[in-house]
Amino acid sequence: MSGRPVSQIIEEGAARYGRNQEAVLRILTDVDRELGSVSEEAMAAIAKCCRVSSAEVQSVATFYSFISTKPRGRHLVRLCRTISCSMKGSAGILAALEKDLGIAAGQTTPDGRITLETTSCIGLCDQSPAMLVDDTPHSRLTPETACEIVRGLK
Amino acid sequence: MKKEVLLSANQPELGSALRKAASMTSADVAFEVRNAKLQGRGGAGFPAGVKWVLAGGASGAQKYVVCNADEGEPGTFKDRILIEKYADRLLEGMAIAGYAIGADTGLIYLRAEYPYLVPVIEEAASRLRQAGLLGRGIMGGKFSFDVEIRKGAGAYVCGEETALLESMEGRRGEPRNKPPYPVNSGFRGCPTIINNVETFIAVPHIILNGADWFLALGEGGDSGTKLFSISGDVERPGVYELAMGSKIGDLLDLAGAVDVQAVQVGGASGKTIPGSDRDRVLSFRDLPPGGSVIVFDGSRDMLGVLENFMEFFVHESCGQCTPCREGNSRLLDAVHAIRAGSLSGREALAPYLDLAETMKQGSKCGFGQTSSNCFVDIVNRFVLKADGQGGN
Repeated sequence: MSGRPVSQIIEEGAARYGRNQEAVLRILTDVDRELGSVSEEAMAAIAKCCRVSSAEVQSVATFYSFISTKPRGRHLVRLCRTISCSMKGSAGILAALEKDLGIAAGQTTPDGRITLETTSCIGLCDQSPAMLVDDTPHSRLTPETACEIVRGLK
Repeated sequence: MKKEVLLSANQPELGSALRKAASMTSADVAFEVRNAKLQGRGGAGFPAGVKWVLAGGASGAQKYVVCNADEGEPGTFKDRILIEKYADRLLEGMAIAGYAIGADTGLIYLRAEYPYLVPVIEEAASRLRQAGLLGRGIMGGKFSFDVEIRKGAGAYVCGEETALLESMEGRRGEPRNKPPYPVNSGFRGCPTIINNVETFIAVPHIILNGADWFLALGEGGDSGTKLFSISGDVERPGVYELAMGSKIGDLLDLAGAVDVQAVQVGGASGKTIPGSDRDRVLSFRDLPPGGSVIVFDGSRDMLGVLENFMEFFVHESCGQCTPCREGNSRLLDAVHAIRAGSLSGREALAPYLDLAETMKQGSKCGFGQTSSNCFVDIVNRFVLKADGQGGN
């Protein structure tokens, strides 16, 4: 996560994508990726910048699983819970991660280091069970390797 | 039968297909793809060449070529492997499409779950630009074409082509009413073709070798080859390329599947068959092959499998139309009730099988029209069968 002000990220996006409806999802994605989530203020600023209503921006933001309107941690762990990963033990990995981090899926550690989420199929079914840590895929996980990877995140 | 064309070690020279296409009229390029009977490799099976011919003939100065790389069907990963290895070929296929329909802009809608493929595509695009195969005045001619990536944001339904267009236009990924079809009114209201990654990658091979060659690759009247992502209870999960029209048993043997209780072809929204049906055919005539094949061995609780799928559909339904939004939730409730023992037998389950049919008939898009397939198949073939009330 960068510490850049949200207005700067939005302006940069608008310069690249334009100031219209089409830019809404692209700017939302940029803000979410850089700051970990999209705040109410950010959504209002995007609405103004793209000349659409705040309700429209909120409706787009809440539609997509990868965009969060709730603050998230510095690192985002997304464990696949769909069938091929589930058959290879994703439930056991989730339990191990929850225990290790002391949080449940959907929560963020109190120090703001990790947000743990489950996700629909991430297309790594040939190497299941798998998870995405930020932009990096990790596969053929065991409860031990998954916890080790997550412990290594600063 | 295993037959490698797209995955062949022996690949034609990059640009040779685009060069050949550019020596033909754009209409002839579209006709060649149509005559090859290349059916949409994302799983819907609509003839790609028909889209090209229609979009080529549609009125409008601005047209678009869109690649659907929103591979989200559970168990599908063939497009990830194709992009990792053959991004050059994908871009060449898109450029040929641009030439055929008269478009100068291509967009790749890449699912958010594949962020690590963004640099792979960008590097391939730079290579093609340097080789004069993308950009302005391609190969010194008048034809210009370039591509950009649009990232998804985590929504399975955006694999539906009109939901994908909505998403690219910055809105919620809710499918549009059809007609109008994208070939007339697609991205930004302009004529647009939307094809799967594998479909575009097949195109250069078709242009170089001709429609008749492609037709002859298939078995039993099908054309071409097809990639399958196979996972679950197999010794060698991965991507395999077979002649379209091959038997499912051939694929199971390649991947090393033993003790097969059930096979799901086409992902969660596909068909689930007993493992003994080895002669069923991977074809749009029988088991529509999107790309996903998931194998369940004798130890798997098929009701648990169904529960996982229904949870997936409840989470991913866009909520726009009632049969899909409410229907999937009710079917998940039914799975829970079966599990708890409060729902059993054909008579008690009949209303849910009726609901499944209503969803199929009444839903707005392919999502709701197919999401009850796994419920019907698993309840009929595995749950009621275990009750001694066997389905078909």
